[in-house]
Amino acid sequence: MTVTETPRFVRADGPDKVTGSGRYTADLSLTGMLTAKFKYAGVAHGRITKLDTSAAKAIPGVFAVLTQADVPNVRFGPFVQDRTLFADGVVRFEAEIVAAVAAIDAATAQRAVDAIVVEYELLPVVNDAEAALAPDAPLVHPDWSSYGAARPMVRNRNDASFASIAKGDVEAGMAQADHVVRSRYVADGCHAAPIEPRAIVAQWEGDKVTIWSSTQVPFDARAGVCETLELPANRVRIIVPHLGGGFGGKCGFHQEAHVAALARAARRPVRLVFSRREEFLAPDKRREGITYEFETGVRNDGTITARRVKMVLDNGAYTSDAGFFSQIGAMHGLGPYRIPNLLAEAHLVYTNHQPSGSVRAPTAPQSCWALESHTDEVARAIGIDPVEFRRRNAVDTGAEGPSGQLYGEIGVQQCIAEAARLAGYGQTLPADEAIGLAIGWWPSFSVPSGAYVKIDGDGSGQIITGAQECGTGSVMTLRQLAADEVGLRAEDFQLVYQDTSVAPYDMGATGSQTLFNNGRAVVAAAAQVAEQLRQLAANRLEADPADIVLADGRAHVAGTPDRSVTIAKLAAIAAGGELLIGHGSGAPPEAPALVGSTCVGNVGMAAWVAPQFSCHAVRVKLDRDTGVVRVLHVAAAHDSGTIINPLAAEGQVQGAVIMGIGQALTEGTTYDDAGHQRNAALLEYKLQTCADVPPMAVHFVQINTPNAGPRGAKGLAEAPNVATAAAISNALAQLVGQPVRQLPMTAERVWNAMNATGAQGGAA
Amino acid sequence: MSFTIARTLDEALAALAAGARPIAGGTDLVVGARHGKAPLPADLVAIDRIPGLAEVTVTAAGITIGAAVSHHTLEGHPLIASTYSALADGSALVGSPATRHVGTLGGNIMNASPAMDTGAGLTVLGAEVELRAQAGSRRVTLADLWTAPGRTSARPDELCVAVHVPTPAPRSGSAYLRLEYRRAMEIAVVGAAAAVTLAPDGSVAAVRVALSAVAPTILSLGGLETLAGGSVNDVAAAVAAAASQQATPISDVRATDHYRRHTVGVMARRAVAAAARRAAGETIAIPVNRSIGIGAAS
Ligand SMILES: Cc1cc2nc3c(=O)[nH]c(=O)nc-3n(C[C@H](O)[C@H](O)[C@H](O)COP(=O)(O)OP(=O)(O)OC[C@H]3O[C@@H](n4cnc5c(N)ncnc54)[C@H](O)[C@@H]3O)c2cc1C
Repeated sequence: MTVTETPRFVRADGPDKVTGSGRYTADLSLTGMLTAKFKYAGVAHGRITKLDTSAAKAIPGVFAVLTQADVPNVRFGPFVQDRTLFADGVVRFEAEIVAAVAAIDAATAQRAVDAIVVEYELLPVVNDAEAALAPDAPLVHPDWSSYGAARPMVRNRNDASFASIAKGDVEAGMAQADHVVRSRYVADGCHAAPIEPRAIVAQWEGDKVTIWSSTQVPFDARAGVCETLELPANRVRIIVPHLGGGFGGKCGFHQEAHVAALARAARRPVRLVFSRREEFLAPDKRREGITYEFETGVRNDGTITARRVKMVLDNGAYTSDAGFFSQIGAMHGLGPYRIPNLLAEAHLVYTNHQPSGSVRAPTAPQSCWALESHTDEVARAIGIDPVEFRRRNAVDTGAEGPSGQLYGEIGVQQCIAEAARLAGYGQTLPADEAIGLAIGWWPSFSVPSGAYVKIDGDGSGQIITGAQECGTGSVMTLRQLAADEVGLRAEDFQLVYQDTSVAPYDMGATGSQTLFNNGRAVVAAAAQVAEQLRQLAANRLEADPADIVLADGRAHVAGTPDRSVTIAKLAAIAAGGELLIGHGSGAPPEAPALVGSTCVGNVGMAAWVAPQFSCHAVRVKLDRDTGVVRVLHVAAAHDSGTIINPLAAEGQVQGAVIMGIGQALTEGTTYDDAGHQRNAALLEYKLQTCADVPPMAVHFVQINTPNAGPRGAKGLAEAPNVATAAAISNALAQLVGQPVRQLPMTAERVWNAMNATGAQGGAA
Repeated sequence: MSFTIARTLDEALAALAAGARPIAGGTDLVVGARHGKAPLPADLVAIDRIPGLAEVTVTAAGITIGAAVSHHTLEGHPLIASTYSALADGSALVGSPATRHVGTLGGNIMNASPAMDTGAGLTVLGAEVELRAQAGSRRVTLADLWTAPGRTSARPDELCVAVHVPTPAPRSGSAYLRLEYRRAMEIAVVGAAAAVTLAPDGSVAAVRVALSAVAPTILSLGGLETLAGGSVNDVAAAVAAAASQQATPISDVRATDHYRRHTVGVMARRAVAAAARRAAGETIAIPVNRSIGIGAAS
């Protein structure tokens, strides 16, 4: 194998997207296609006392109206089986689907939706996750104990998933401390907000259904359809056209089964396209709101003796993939620090809000924001510079992390040094500017994955992979891996992907896992083809296959480059005999052992394969008269292992930093007393715009990572979303005089914090 | 249901008389309809291709801006930028480059949102609106035009054809600022425009201030006559206090009334300061939001 030097190739689907020739799911049109629309609950919590669809069914042009009575009675959910396709007697959040309509056009579908009669007996709205933990709080799921659930889940009433991580003796550790710093932080929920609202088209042919869906996880979507409509996997085909962004919001199984059921009942293809408002309200995906209570014991010499953290996460009405958030949240509540005595307790609590789910690095940015703001408070309490405090207390190569994981070579200390240097930490700044810094971490996810590689008779290659693309470009980098294996160029390979009936399984564009796992699969598949090529070349060049080198489009005998044959020639020979086809999966790296810690509710999120580390340092400017904050510069240093495609990697960091700025300052969902989102629109839910983006300096600390992905790569797409909000908070706290204790740190909250007299420790 | 593209003013006026609603850029009308604010009117007449309606003309009394002039034209117009700066400041803040190319001054005015970005500037510049129907035309002041959020005193058959802005007195300058949480695709949380005329000794000879997003319509500050003769700093401080006091803001998802009341004072103070600097001959780039205070580059 020859490794191409730092390729900086542009993503192959770029021209399609930029010129508008790319086709998205909503662009599909099939003969006879109907339009789907949903009837939503409209109330956050209520018992259905009447549901009558007869008037809707009678409208000319309406082909199908479905409710839970029309689909198999299946309760589903990856961690807790607490959910049905349609409301089953009770609605638990405002956008729960009560009924679905397929009609000849959108206007007719809307009239049918309006003609569906639903009456409710209103139930108390559980609007606050902390209050929902009280013993006498109304239950969101009175039947919770009868639900099926994944085995390690620890559940109790509204607490859908409890996790704790304990090590040492916290009381004793606090007793050794010179200072004990306590703080409370509150993070509001927020959204993935992809620019493409989701779209789904379903078409039946006989007993098989093809579903085009804007999903990040086609195999997961297929599994959901199979489970809820009781179909075998080989009768459901999911195809993903161009995907217009996901950010985690399009992970999980969503409305594919609703649309498939409508298409079956209507005997016509059916298309669903969400409005922007639906995209805000209806998906099982919102970044969870979390409250934090921290307590850290520290000695005057700067060593942390103990930490206690209690976290309450807003699960929303149903447990989608959020089941693991309590444990991974607990890890983020503790942070990448050396702490001998610790206890983290995290509760994932039902409310009558939209369900939470994986949005880019779930639990991490808000927890990093809270913990790292607290960490600066700790450093200040003993008068040590926050950067120096982190140098002393952050984990390092050979150190033990909070869950008892012993680290091989890691680059967190290098990240701190690089980010501080790139930001000019320590320079004299104008009075209304400050630089804050924070460290973050995120695992790589080690899971099964598969791919095929073939080279056709003309010497051109194809990778047929289950991997999915959501804008990260990581599938594009797969071509580089295959090309290097067989001695061709990345451009010699085309990708066939996002089709569950064509390629082997892959988890999808989720968990930053594409390059880590599918890269391994592609390398294994390409290695088989390389082996075939070496055999063919050896026959032709009368050499030992072990001496054949594949490079620059040719096979040559090691040491004698002119004894060679082109790979195109070998491919032509193969086309007349045994074809050049490889398949690969490869064994996923094993999870590390944990020593000396106790993990309750262990869903495997405390032992991190190839952990990634980062440090962001941000310079901000504060308008003291209004509380408006402007980010002037972001320095981001990352240990994500070997960087295989620097152009794509830098793009990931830049995008995640912009998202982090939004989370820090302007993006947050607020609820009214009745449990309705108050800002489910892009004017009121404020994403950052291009005009707001500051200059950035990105640096990759590339170290030799043990137990990692191909060529020592770790994941990357989520890690850069972790530390930005925290760094902004730490800069702002210097200007305000205290942390702004609620996320997002909106201008008004900043202004309130500046004007609060003696406000310490409470949420603004 | 009909959509008429008017080629002449007379065609447009005839369509209005027959019950059609005018559409210029459609950035309020169509977007609002999509968001469920109000259904799209059944009959529309497009006014964006009428010759002359998109022109800026210099007159003896000042300038006349056609109703279909785009924000993009206004923000880049040298005379407007130098002499009617508060209007250029406002137009330069509207939406995104795409919104500014399509959205028009007439649409902004006739949409009558209290958060509109040209309204406060036009008010302090003393602008009047020319309304025309088949029967003839009339001029109204802005104070008489806007009656409530989204409402004007124009009759359904009247088209806004132009905005007339008088030439400012010598040694005058104006500016408009808004509080914004991001630098594009934003709506004013609060805003303030000021027009300042300086006396030869540098004191303030006259000041006018109007506020956006703190009342049902653009709010013209009263009682400022007594400030004449004061220094710029003193006047700015007094204006800030008056703005906070006279504003009647609401609480909504963007801000509380308390915060709006405070920040509108800040915007008013900054608007007076910027207007005074311009009156003294200094050039502050359009929009002033990007040059001083909250939205500034660094
Ligand atoms: C993304 C986005 C961002 C925006 N940002 C801002 C902003 O920052 N600041 C701001 O102030 N506005 C903003 N707007 C609102 C809008 O762009 C402006 O108000 C614009 O000036 C409206 O002009 P238009 O030509 O598009 O109006 P239209 O939508 O065509 O018309 C608006 C209303 O005025 C009526 N009308 C139009 N022309 C006339 C006329 N000549 N005579 C009588 N009635 C007429 C129409 O019937 C309609 O009721 C934004 C809009 C969008 C979509």
